[in-house]
Amino acid sequence: MKLETNAILLLVVVAVFMFLGSYFTMVVPLMDARLNAPSKDARPYTELEMKGRHVYQKEGCVYCHTQQVRNLLEETQRYGMGEEETFKRFGIRALIQAPPSQPGEFAYDQPHFLGTRRVGPDLARVGGKYDNTWHINHLRDPRSTSPGSLMPAYSWLFDKASQPTPDAIALVAYIQKLGTNYKWREEGVEQARKLQGISAALPFKEGKQ
Amino acid sequence: MEQHEDKSARWFMYTSVLFFLVTILIGLIMSIRFIAPEFLGGIASLSHGRIRAIHTNGVLFGWLLAADMGLCYYLVPRLAGVRLFSEKLGMATLGLWVVIILGAVVTLGIGDTQGKEYLELDMALDILVTIAWVMFAINIFATIARRKYENMYASLWYVMGTILWTAILWIVANLPVYAGVNDANVNWWFGHNAVGLIFTPVGLAIAYYFIPKATGNPLYSHKLSLIGFWTIAFLYIWNGAHHILFGPIPTWLQTVAILFSISLLIPVWTAVTNFYGTMRGKWAQANTVVKFFLAGTTFYLLTCFQGPMHSLRTVNQIVSKTDWIVGHAHMAVFGAFSFFAMGGIYFSLPRMLKRPVFSEKLAEWHFWLSFVGFLGFAISLWIGGFVQGLQWMDYRISFLDTVKAMFPYYLVRMFSAILMVAAQLMFAYNVLRTARGNGHAPAAPAVA
Repeated sequence: MKLETNAILLLVVVAVFMFLGSYFTMVVPLMDARLNAPSKDARPYTELEMKGRHVYQKEGCVYCHTQQVRNLLEETQRYGMGEEETFKRFGIRALIQAPPSQPGEFAYDQPHFLGTRRVGPDLARVGGKYDNTWHINHLRDPRSTSPGSLMPAYSWLFDKASQPTPDAIALVAYIQKLGTNYKWREEGVEQARKLQGISAALPFKEGKQ
Repeated sequence: MEQHEDKSARWFMYTSVLFFLVTILIGLIMSIRFIAPEFLGGIASLSHGRIRAIHTNGVLFGWLLAADMGLCYYLVPRLAGVRLFSEKLGMATLGLWVVIILGAVVTLGIGDTQGKEYLELDMALDILVTIAWVMFAINIFATIARRKYENMYASLWYVMGTILWTAILWIVANLPVYAGVNDANVNWWFGHNAVGLIFTPVGLAIAYYFIPKATGNPLYSHKLSLIGFWTIAFLYIWNGAHHILFGPIPTWLQTVAILFSISLLIPVWTAVTNFYGTMRGKWAQANTVVKFFLAGTTFYLLTCFQGPMHSLRTVNQIVSKTDWIVGHAHMAVFGAFSFFAMGGIYFSLPRMLKRPVFSEKLAEWHFWLSFVGFLGFAISLWIGGFVQGLQWMDYRISFLDTVKAMFPYYLVRMFSAILMVAAQLMFAYNVLRTARGNGHAPAAPAVA
């Protein structure tokens, strides 16, 4: 066979094969407007959030936290709001599922933080789940808020008086922004209230279902 | 017979072994932290988020790619029947490589990262890597261009392919122009093929060269090696998106990646059949070199069976994002391709230096500790990762409880990591003593 004796021809064919696969799996998505355009309620990061994003990048948070709620029931449930949380915050018992991540939500992300490993939980919908104080305490001493956590304490994000540095404050601002493109918590609670209102109003006949 | 100087080959190997020791030690520190999170805590540059990148980049580029380059400097001139094009260029490449690795440790330690897995290095270092790779390419291509034999053996196709694939992957993936999910897609176009089109083909080049040499058997099938090469060249590049299954990328892209992932069984099984076939009849009296290639081939078969299987949606749903994947990645890079490189070093180093390995017995210990340690490492993470993946499927089990449930698996992983590091200490000591050459121990007759 000629390819075995001709180094140049071999390299040309190798390059053509590589181009084929790369074109369809990489270039075509790059040209797909649906993957690049921001979703209608996505907004660019504020200066503070952007600074926090840099801290997230610098400290390698991405190695232990993904930022993608996969399109699977167990993930929309786990990263949504459980009954305890809805009751404490909204006075209603309901499981509010988190919306799966959409391409348009990530349009302003450079670099991306989709991640590959969950040593800790996914953070795509974490914004608004806890208050700022919780996050500061968690960064200072992860096991004080989350017993059993494997996260290191980020002592260098705190000064000698154990007060958060501007970096820590920016990081929390960024985390609180995550997944808030949709007002899914509020909308979900509202919908749950409606459904529970309807089911309460329905006449209930025993033995007939 | 051509007299080979082999200076670049030897010094690339020595350097790679040194970097291996350092970066695998970092791996050990990380594994201890999964038991004791505050171990060596409070120092920013030693935190998990920073040394994780030093571990992966150090092992991939400082150890494995450098060792593979050294082995290429050894086998390409021998297959071409001429001397290496330029030893000076080779040594200059090594110098630049050392600068890059040291630069990587410093920049990653201070948190200067591009934030994408396997693409962490600062732009300045990216450019240096590109220059070093071009220097390597010139040396290898010029050697092949002057070859005495017209026909090229399989290893040469794989080496040439590796050089081209690596160059394109590295340059395109490092362009700072992508954002959002496309940034992720390009990241995995690179990340998957960093293993599939850099470490796999150069690893196979090494196996194709050293397995016939070490066993004394001819290559089992030329035709299989051809099928393997062209299917790798065609199929691998389509797979990146299987890292983001169920994620925010188009369904068609996920399905294409799954189909091509399954088809990867073809190049893998052809290569494995060829290697086993070539080793036929030599298993029983296996020396250390053959043992490394035998175990490496088996790990290659296993890891490349896992790969297609957990690109299936039903399996991916469970194992994705768990420690299963960590076990899988280590089996490719450590179990398969590092074993190939170690076997290649044990075979080539004594021949370049024209004296036996310092201690065959130590080499045996190196093999068995690496092998047993790695089995403990991988099996604990597979079982643990699978269990955790199943727990994640029930949202009523709190995330923290699924973390706590991993404790026994992480404990086994840590002890296995200790064995793996101890083994590499023996490797480094053996290589050092063989290189210095004074007062070598008599080779153990049982493994001669």
